[in-house]
Amino acid sequence: MGNKQTVFAHEQLEAYQDCTFFTRKEIMRLFYRYQDLAPQLVPLDYTSCPDVKVPYELIGSMPELKDNPFRQRIAQVFSEDGDGHMTLDNFLDMFSVMSEMAPRDLKAYYAFKIYDFNNDGYICAWDLEQTVTKLTRGELSTEEVSLVCEKVLDEADGDHDGRLSLEDFQNMILRAPDFLSTFHIRI
Amino acid sequence: MLRAALPLFGLPLAGAAATEEPTQEPGSPGEPPAGLALFRWQWHEVEAPYLVALWILVASLAKIVFHLSRKVTSLVPESCLLILLGLVLGGIVLAVAKKAEYQLEPGTFFLFLLPPIVLDSGYFMPSRLFFDNLGAILTYAVVGTLWNAFTTGAALWGLQQAGLVAPRVQASLLDFLLFGSLISAVDPVAVLAVFEEVHVNDTLFIIVFGESLLNDAVTVVLYKVCNSFVEMGSANVQAADYLKGVASLFLVSLGGAAVGLVFAFLLALTTRFTKRVRIIEPLLVFLLAYAAYLTAEMASLSAILAVTMCGLGCKKYVEANISHKSRTAVKYTMKTLASCAETVIFMLLGISAVDSSKWAWDSGLVLGTLFFILFFRALGVVLQTWVLNQFRLVPLDKIDQVVMSYGGLRGAVAFALVILLDRTKVPAKDYFVATTIVVVFFTVIVQGLTIKPLVKWLKVKRSEHHKPTLNQELHEHTFDHILAAVEDVVGHHGYHYWRDRWEQFDKKYLSQLLMRRSAYRIRDQIWDVYYRLNIRDAISFVDQGGHILSSTGLTLPSMPSRNSVAETSVTNLLRESGSGACLDLQVIDTVRSGRDREDAVMHHLLCGGLYKPRRRYKASCSRHFISEDAQERQDKEIFQQNMKRRLESFKSTKHNICLNKSKPRPRKTSRKKKDGLANTEATNGKPPRDLGFQDTAAVILTVESESEEESDSSETEKEDDEGIIFVARATSEVLQEGKVSGSLEVCPSPRIIPPSPTCAEKELPWKSGQGDLAVYVSSETTKIVPVDMQAGWNQSISSLESLASPPCTQAPTMTRLPPCPLAAEEPQPPFDLPYDPRPSFAFPPSLAKAGRSRSESSADIPQQQELQPLMGHEDRTHLSPRAANSHWCIQFNKGGRL
Repeated sequence: MGNKQTVFAHEQLEAYQDCTFFTRKEIMRLFYRYQDLAPQLVPLDYTSCPDVKVPYELIGSMPELKDNPFRQRIAQVFSEDGDGHMTLDNFLDMFSVMSEMAPRDLKAYYAFKIYDFNNDGYICAWDLEQTVTKLTRGELSTEEVSLVCEKVLDEADGDHDGRLSLEDFQNMILRAPDFLSTFHIRI
Repeated sequence: MLRAALPLFGLPLAGAAATEEPTQEPGSPGEPPAGLALFRWQWHEVEAPYLVALWILVASLAKIVFHLSRKVTSLVPESCLLILLGLVLGGIVLAVAKKAEYQLEPGTFFLFLLPPIVLDSGYFMPSRLFFDNLGAILTYAVVGTLWNAFTTGAALWGLQQAGLVAPRVQASLLDFLLFGSLISAVDPVAVLAVFEEVHVNDTLFIIVFGESLLNDAVTVVLYKVCNSFVEMGSANVQAADYLKGVASLFLVSLGGAAVGLVFAFLLALTTRFTKRVRIIEPLLVFLLAYAAYLTAEMASLSAILAVTMCGLGCKKYVEANISHKSRTAVKYTMKTLASCAETVIFMLLGISAVDSSKWAWDSGLVLGTLFFILFFRALGVVLQTWVLNQFRLVPLDKIDQVVMSYGGLRGAVAFALVILLDRTKVPAKDYFVATTIVVVFFTVIVQGLTIKPLVKWLKVKRSEHHKPTLNQELHEHTFDHILAAVEDVVGHHGYHYWRDRWEQFDKKYLSQLLMRRSAYRIRDQIWDVYYRLNIRDAISFVDQGGHILSSTGLTLPSMPSRNSVAETSVTNLLRESGSGACLDLQVIDTVRSGRDREDAVMHHLLCGGLYKPRRRYKASCSRHFISEDAQERQDKEIFQQNMKRRLESFKSTKHNICLNKSKPRPRKTSRKKKDGLANTEATNGKPPRDLGFQDTAAVILTVESESEEESDSSETEKEDDEGIIFVARATSEVLQEGKVSGSLEVCPSPRIIPPSPTCAEKELPWKSGQGDLAVYVSSETTKIVPVDMQAGWNQSISSLESLASPPCTQAPTMTRLPPCPLAAEEPQPPFDLPYDPRPSFAFPPSLAKAGRSRSESSADIPQQQELQPLMGHEDRTHLSPRAANSHWCIQFNKGGRL
């Protein structure tokens, strides 16, 4: 990649390598992917750390993502200010969490954050209802959704406070080790 | 005497006898029929099916005998025992008949014995796990089998060239390759038999087992190719033939899979239209799967692959389409057939080995083969795993590899294939047969015996038998979506991408096409899991309930312990309360807090929504059960619910009269109560869940149902949905009283504790809503031993009182309850009205969740309504101001729901 140096300064690349679980090559690939999302917005020169965000509308309108119920939530969780607009750092973070090298706790933390729709640090019944509704694409009645949510809460709620804390969530996830072991993708 | 009697019967039977005569006595053709025989021995007519039935019977009896001793079966796999039994039987047959009979015939094996096993494994294959590991499975199945076949064959040939195999074994390189191809395939039957008892973790199991299923295509192709090469003679083999061989590999495997999928599609489509002929649903499953097998066999495609894919592909749609009963029928028939076939296979394997005329021994060949298959299997696994681990997210570690190599069992498929060899073309056939038998025996017996200790010793991750949870389902789906989204963003079309695409396709087209409308409605998987959890629990409930009920009251498990009041151990207490009161030992025995609530939710749904399982319960024990169409019944039930509700109001005046009848319940429940109380209190001082309206509800219910039972036994039909109704009514009444005694709300008084249920009681509907059970249990028991019961209850009450304190001490966090409550409970006269008109306790605020707006809570109403018995976890301090409100809300919703 001849233009590697022109995109990032050497220090920048090193910093990215430190902050993520990626090699230099993967970072460059991800960058080009990021740049692909909005070629007119993202400059090919990042040495000056431009303050560029890819708006959520661009990400959400990708044809592959059209049917994905969680596209907005993912963008929100990983974007800095929760509005779904992603900087390059956010973008890299997102994949970093998904990489095989990322520790389980980190994965669990981000999974938890994705569930926590109202950002109050707990998964409450309302959060779960959102999840279930999204997952079922509105095919269940409200009654059914709340039944399911109640049961899910019951299953995992270790301290019986009617909502899931991060600890509850981690406990539950660690009890079935298969969950997180599948929470990877290969870039 | 017989002859003398003949004329008597002669006339009427003459016609029938005349037609039968010639066929029945082929042994004495010359002899004219000497009149009519009264008694005739017709062995030859029934011989074949009779023998088949006998063999299966012997095998089943053997199975029973093996399992009489738990110790033996825990150490020795059943397959080993069966093979040994086969050896013994074969020896007996040989000794008696002087020739070996009843061999494992390849035709029988491939056409009748193998399909049920493969269908069973394909149908019940965890499809997600299978496809998650498809890459690894395919690698081991294709590359691994090819590698094993060629290396084993070549190495044996090398052994022969080195002079280590006796020269009388006349075999060329091709012969050895042929032998290698049949001996190299891991056998699904053997693997299944052994691994099912070992319980290694799911991933490991699916890899070994999936390999054993999928390698069939490779084995079949290799075997056929080598066989035809051998028959052609190695000189005549053209280069094009090798290419054809490779091409046929694809043809056989993909063709087999395609046949399977086509039949799966047909099967799913057929079951969509069986609504009016439910009875043939299970038959369809078996017929079409078998047709898939035979079709593939006919086209010399991989039949195992076909039937596996058929089972794998149709399951989702078939399960959705067929009725619950059919599902059970399919499940059990499939398991029965597979188990039968497996048993017979192993036994016949043992018997076949006795026939020494077929085989010829050569130590060099046998030992060499044994060594090579073990060695190359291990080497192949290590090499392939190394490659696979470069791509796998969860690498297979060393221990996994050891188990995988050691789990490569050979079995009946190899044996059947080697029997099929043509002796004229393969002069060394007898040696190969002997070697195969030894290899099969070695792998099944030695490896089968040692794999369990090995797995233990290596500390291989075992599979955990936990119930499938909704969480699991939910998170799996969520993660899938998240991963698919992330993959999409990065533009990487990986596994998740394709799975996502497939799911969408399935949802949009396939499911629409293959599922009937009503099934499609509940086809959402999360709801489906929820539904299944309920059904499964309902079944276990019904099974246990049915079991106890069928034992006609006298053997009620709780009876002995009730009489022996002296026993005061906690476990005894638990057991008693569990079996006697709720007929559900399982729940009591497990960890209480979370599990109870979980079960509670399910059972409450059950009370409200699921008709079939409860119908079954009815059917099994109600004399007045009338079979109706399900839809009609449900409509009727709903109607009855409404009627019931109106009846309740004036009936409630009746309980005083029949109060005595309800005594057993308060007693039992109060015992459990303490237990439950300790439990809930232990969970960091939250408001105890188990105090409240539900308590009274349970008792009222009992009373009413009994009274009804007495007054009109035909009313039992109506008892069904008591669960919902009584909750509503009790709540309303209690709530009204709650308004009166609002000042006491903070201190849930023990006054009503005696009739109150435990947390289990209140959470498990059959405990709280005794509508069904009370009718049956009580009527049965009171009829038979009323006095006894009465005495027993009195005794148990006193024992209860003596036990009252220990649970109390176990609940140190019981801050909200003054110490007096439990003490006050004891002096409470046991025959007090369960329906205490001075309820000094507070009710759950039903709908008044602290932080919620009205609109939110209204959205929650359905949930609340289902979960009312759990209401206790709401904050009691909010109660009374809203009591009236919530009361009306409940009423309203009940009405709307009904």
